[in-house]
Formats: sequence, C-alpha cells, structure tokens
Amino acid sequence: MDRRKFIKNSALASSLFFVPNFVKAFENVATNQLGYKRLVIVQLAGGNDGLNTIIPHNNDLYYNARPQLAITKDIIKLNDDLGFHPSLDPLRSLFDNGELSIINNVGYPNPVRSHFRSMDIWQTASGSGEYLQSGWIGRYLDQHGEKPYNAMEMDEQLSLAMKGEYFNGIATNDYKVLYNTAKDPYFKNVLSHYNDAHLSEHNLGYLYQTMIEAKSSANYIFENTNVKSSSEDYPQNNFAKQLKNVAQFINSGLDTKVFYTSLGGFDTHANQNKKQTQLLSQYAKSVSAFVNDLKQNNAFENTLILTFSEFGRRVKQNAANGTDHGSANNVFIIGKNLKQAGFYNNLASLSDLDDNGDLKYSVDFRSIYSTILKKWMNVSAKGIIPKEQKSLKFI
Amino acid sequence: MTAAEFQHLYWRIGFGSNPNTINLLPKNRIHVVEQIFVDSQSITPLEIDLSFMSGVTQKELKDNPKLAQKIRRESREKLKNLNVAWIDRLGQSKELLREKMTLFWANHFVCKENHVIFAQMFNNTLRTHALGNFKTFVKAISKEAAMLKYLNGKHNRKNQPNENFARELMELFTLGEGHYSEKDIKESARAFTGYNHDFDGNFRMRPKHHDEDLKTFFGKTGNFSGDDIVDIILEDKQCAIFISTKIYRYFVNPKPNKKHIEEMANVFFKDYNIENLMRFVFLSDWFYDEVNIGVKIKSPIEYLVGMSHIIPIKYEREKDLLKIQKLLGQTLLSPPNVAGWKGDKAWIDANTIMVRLKLPSVMLNNAMISLKEGDTDISDDLKRNYLRKNKGKLPFRITAAWDTFLSDFENVSSKNLQDFIIQGSINKGTADYLKTLNKASKKEYCIQLMSLPEYQMC
Repeated sequence: MDRRKFIKNSALASSLFFVPNFVKAFENVATNQLGYKRLVIVQLAGGNDGLNTIIPHNNDLYYNARPQLAITKDIIKLNDDLGFHPSLDPLRSLFDNGELSIINNVGYPNPVRSHFRSMDIWQTASGSGEYLQSGWIGRYLDQHGEKPYNAMEMDEQLSLAMKGEYFNGIATNDYKVLYNTAKDPYFKNVLSHYNDAHLSEHNLGYLYQTMIEAKSSANYIFENTNVKSSSEDYPQNNFAKQLKNVAQFINSGLDTKVFYTSLGGFDTHANQNKKQTQLLSQYAKSVSAFVNDLKQNNAFENTLILTFSEFGRRVKQNAANGTDHGSANNVFIIGKNLKQAGFYNNLASLSDLDDNGDLKYSVDFRSIYSTILKKWMNVSAKGIIPKEQKSLKFI
Repeated sequence: MTAAEFQHLYWRIGFGSNPNTINLLPKNRIHVVEQIFVDSQSITPLEIDLSFMSGVTQKELKDNPKLAQKIRRESREKLKNLNVAWIDRLGQSKELLREKMTLFWANHFVCKENHVIFAQMFNNTLRTHALGNFKTFVKAISKEAAMLKYLNGKHNRKNQPNENFARELMELFTLGEGHYSEKDIKESARAFTGYNHDFDGNFRMRPKHHDEDLKTFFGKTGNFSGDDIVDIILEDKQCAIFISTKIYRYFVNPKPNKKHIEEMANVFFKDYNIENLMRFVFLSDWFYDEVNIGVKIKSPIEYLVGMSHIIPIKYEREKDLLKIQKLLGQTLLSPPNVAGWKGDKAWIDANTIMVRLKLPSVMLNNAMISLKEGDTDISDDLKRNYLRKNKGKLPFRITAAWDTFLSDFENVSSKNLQDFIIQGSINKGTADYLKTLNKASKKEYCIQLMSLPEYQMC
C-alpha cells in the first residue's frame, strides 16, 4: 500500500469509530509484514581511519607515510596484502567463515571533508553538491513503511537518514522510557475522548495521528519485546547495549526492517593508536557478541549488517601522531549467505592519491545502498536512491 | 481588533502574548501594527563576552598549534553561550518583529560557523537587515566571513572557481530551483571570485584572484562584480515571488495561497523593502482570516520561547537548554545543512511529539500532569509518593516563576485560560474532556493545556 492510500484508508476507517477502536484499528494494520530480511546499520562517527583498520601490511608506502602511526605488531594477516587491526580479532572467524565482505575504496565524487556535511551525504545518499532534506531509510519508509517502528534508531533522537519526506522511523534509546511516557494517564484520557470525525491531513490532525502512532508504537515495542530472548554476554558499553537491544527486537520477531546504531569518537587527529585500538575493540567485541546472539536464535541468516564511516583519513600521518580528514574508506558487510565474502576488491593505490593526499574512491556508496535495497530488501531503489546506480555482487 | 486577532498577530510577529500585553495596547489594527514597527526601529546587536580572543594574533595561532587548539575549543564553548544568549534575547526583546525576522532569515540565509566571532557577526548582520532592503541584505550576506567559509566563497578563485555559493545564492537565497541554468551558475561564480575576509572577519577583496574577464549571465554580458550579479538576479520578479512565498508560509500559513502571495510579490518587487512587505501582510484582512489562525506547527524555538512568555522559565544549567533543543530537533546556530530546517510537519515525529507533550510537566511540574476530574482528585498521599519517587530523577534543573504567571493571569478565570494558552480550535472530543477537568488550580490546568497536541499550534 502506498503512503497516500494508507493515510486515506486509515482516515476512512477511523471516521467510523471514536478513538479506542481507532487505536485498535491502527494496531491491526500491520497484518502484511514487510518480510523477514533485516538490515542493521552501524555508523562509525568521526571518520574511522580505514588504513589502520584494514592494514596494507606488505606496502612500504604505508609504512613510509606513517612512521609513528603504522601498525607493525600483531596484525592479523588475511591475505598477502591486507590484514586486520589487532583489535578486530573477534571478527576473524566471520572472515574465515565467509560471513564478512570488505569493500575497499568506498566514497563519492568530489569528496567533502567536513564531518557534518559528509555524514549528511551518506545519510541522504546525495551527491556532494546537492542538499536533500530526507534520508535514504526515510524514503524507503515513505514507500514501504506502515509504522514508525518499521525502522528504529537506537538513540534519543532521529538521524536524518531515518526521516522521509512523509514518514519517519522511531528512535528508542530506551523503549521502556518511551512506553512509560506514552502511557501517562492524561494522554490516555485525551486520546480516548479525541474525536477524529474531522481527521484530515491538516496539521492538528497530523499531530493527533502522530501521537496515536507514537503511543501504539511504544506499546507494540514494549509488549512484543522479550527481554530474555537474548542470553549472550555483551561487553559493557553503550554501543554493545544498542546491539543487544537490536538483538532483543530481532529475536522477539518485531516487524522492524531497519535498525540504526552508532559508535562515535573516531575523529583521531592526535594520539590515534590508543583511541582507535579501544574503539575498534569495542566495535569488534560487540558485533561478535551480536552475531552469536542472532545465530543462537536462528536469526542471523535473515540479518545483514552494514558498517560505514563518513570518510576515511589521510594516508600520511600528521605531526600529532594522528591523521586528518580524508576521503575513500572501507565498508563492512556482515551476513550469512554473501555472494562475495572476504575482500570484494583491492585497496586503491597508495601512490596515486588525490590532490589532498587521500585515497581515490572506486565504489560509490550509493551503489552499496542500491544493491542492499534491490537484492536484500527486495524493493526497487527508484525514488530512494536519487541517481541510478549499478548493482554490486556482494549479496 | 479582537483579542483573538491580537493574539494571532503576536504569535506571528513574536512568541505569543499574555493578558498584560493585550491590556497595554491600542485596539485599532493600524495602531497596533504601527506600534510593532516603531518598537523594531532600533537595532540591538547580540553581543557576548568574547575577550578570550582579544590580543590573539593570526601569527600566534599559526606558530603555536597548542594555543590554536585551545582557542578553537573555547570558541566552541562560547558558541553555546551565544546560543543561550540568543534564546534569552528572543524571550525578552522589545524589538519583537526584528528578532522574529532574524530567526526567520537565519533559516533562509543558512550558515553554520564554529568561529564564534564570525558566528556572532553573521547573526548581527541578519538582525541589522532583517527589516531593511533585501538587495542590500543579499550583498551583505555574500561578504560575511561565516558565509565565505561555509559555502567556500573564499576558495573561489579565478584559476580555481568554486560554484558552491553561486549555486545556493540562486537556488536557496533568491530564485528557487529551476530558474537558472548551470551556465548561469558558472558565470556568476566567476563574478564572486576573489571574495575573502581578514583575520577579524572583515570583508577583503583579493584583486589578483578576481576574474576580470567578461561574463555572460541571464543574457547580459559584462565584466560583472558579485554585487552586479545580485542586481541582475533581483531584476527577475521570480525573486520577489520566491521570498514572498517563504514569508507567507512562515508568517501566515504553511499552505500557500497563490493570490495572496501574488499581492505580496507585487508590493515587494517595487523596491525590495522588507518592512513594507511585512506591513502589507499584517494590515491585510486575509492575514486575520480564521483559516490562518492556529494553523502553524510551532518550531521548537517558538514552542520553548512561547512557553516562557506564559511562565518565565530559568534554566539553571546552560546544558539543559541545549539538551532540550536537541531533543526537540532544533539547536540554534546548528542547522542540519544549507537548506535549513524543513519546518512544519517535519518538526513532528513519534519521538518529538512525545517529548513536546511531556516536556511542560517535566519542566514546570515535576513531570506530573494532574488528573483531577470533577470533584475527585488523586489523594495527597499518592501525589507525595509520586514526587518522592521522581525526586532527583528529573533530567533538568529549571525554575519556573509561577508567581509571575499567577499575577499575570489574575483576572483570567480558569475557565477562560485556554483562550490564552491555545491558538486556534480545539478538537471537539478533547474540548469535551477539558470540560470534565477540575480547574481549581490554574497552575495545573495550565500544564494540562500545554500537554495537548493543540498547544503545538500557533
């Protein structure tokens, strides 16, 4: 059902009832589920240094560019050229099992080196010179979403990625708080008296409708989430907590297609090694626990995990033992039945850099989005990804 | 002028009214509107303490990276002060319309700048021209340090043109998409080459980077300067239509009315005088039509500042006010991108609606929304229990001046309180429910009203 039809139908249905029934009607709409395939997005905010994540351990140019910063010890060699940062050890088995695909040199033309702007570009799937006010997941919801909880962000507020032109996902940093707020008896009384005979698309009607949706989403999430569904041990940090919540939602069978998580702090201009070691370790341990959790609940084969950062960092280290903002970077795809596991492509040349001394991109990030939409979510990318992209072969 | 019309006007030129303001003013529309413009004649720049930068030279920053880093950090901290000072100003200024228009222009000439001195300069430029001549305004914006940085104008050089500013100048600032060609962008970008600023943020033309050759723009050929380009753009009536539409949707009704906008554009196109345009809007009969009253969804800032017009609110910690802005989805000085906040329905999603409905009780009443119906009341024990349970758990430290509220509303009966708190119509069922509430406490009834979807409208 498309969005306009949906609004029309629910308005029509609801004019027959006063609210208690209407709320019920709303809750029953989701009979046709969106399918079982789920996408989990992990955003590494701040610009993760891809070269010290997937390390060209056999390349002199790498060591020359980073006299103090190059990783020399305990690299987990994955092939003759590339290896994991030691902190990524927990992901080793995923790589060996063919459950991880690493796409190198992902970026876009005319890269922007501002965090803010580049994150915007990744979240809206725009080009570097255009400004979109809706995100790619949001536009997916515009076309295929029925409830805010069809896409959930594990945060207090919604990222641009999750906002569509007409429809938004929901943010649930703590779904119990949302539930407790929504069940305030005063709101319940207001809604039970609310007369939607004149419900239309005008603004006040929209506010009530969003309030009803919020309340019903909060209820739905709270009532359908089985906390015990996840028994796996997770590390103690905020990112792990986000993934643990996602696992609970997935294992409980919530009708949520997209989950959005984020781990920040990667803006390592100074003393990078200590900070990045710690962050990558958080990332790898949490993701590993998450995958195990899903596997135990037979949910892994229907889950795809996409990890990206808004840009990579400069090849050459700076004077403060850190790195400055760069451009192309690697993207991780984790899933069960990958078509091309391991390395999807080779690392770009370290001698043929752009004018800033950054890696040149060879894979447009929008073609990854497009491929996921088409081959994983089984929908057309039209209207979601603004420019037509070629399909990749990782799934 | 009726009280309802008066309140409507005050919601659009400012952040609402309270019984005090209404009693103070003349009741004739022309007088009321004229008074508003008289009050906004003066310009009071927004200035915070920026002494941390005094005496610091460009050379020092270059030679001493540690100092540069420290200054950058302080600048970001000061930006928070500027944010808070701006919100204070919105709640207190006598120059109501000037401030409201400054807020409007900040979401038109959108710019984000971490250098607090440049950010403050930019903000004051918006304030200075808020009711002035639009042509002068656009030219001033094109020379602001913050804008030269934000849209890469300072990198726009003869040998390395950067089209970012030229594109947004036409797409977002003057004409709207589809009213120019890619060639127009390229040619006009050349006219703006050499624009730059000095260390203090003053505009500097760098002649050696300026392209002196002929440019062909909108069918005209000449050695155009940036100012010439602005003049040529504004010769197109589309600019008057574009700006009038934006003003109509912000100050009148988010749903555009073609006929009214055309009337506005005719007024504006004559001389691009913003004050005249606004006067025309506020004196038009259609501005006061019922379809235009209470149809706007308040922006988070309108919501917050409006609330403090009813009950003066003091944030004991700066970070609380910043956090609240973030939760509501609008942090001043930190727009999402050059297109600005989308506004209207985009303010509201499942999260922000719940935050908005719950926030008045959290901020003003220990998170409690009373449930008194008829004569029944939750027992005092229960209330005490509730408060004890919530004590220390409240996320914000805020003092609300309920005394001021009670004295301002002394002559307003509880029954009539909703006429002041709510703009526009109340849903029939909700109105029936409100009738059942025991209104013995004006304070509690005020919170109840502020916890309604209707309170989000202005």
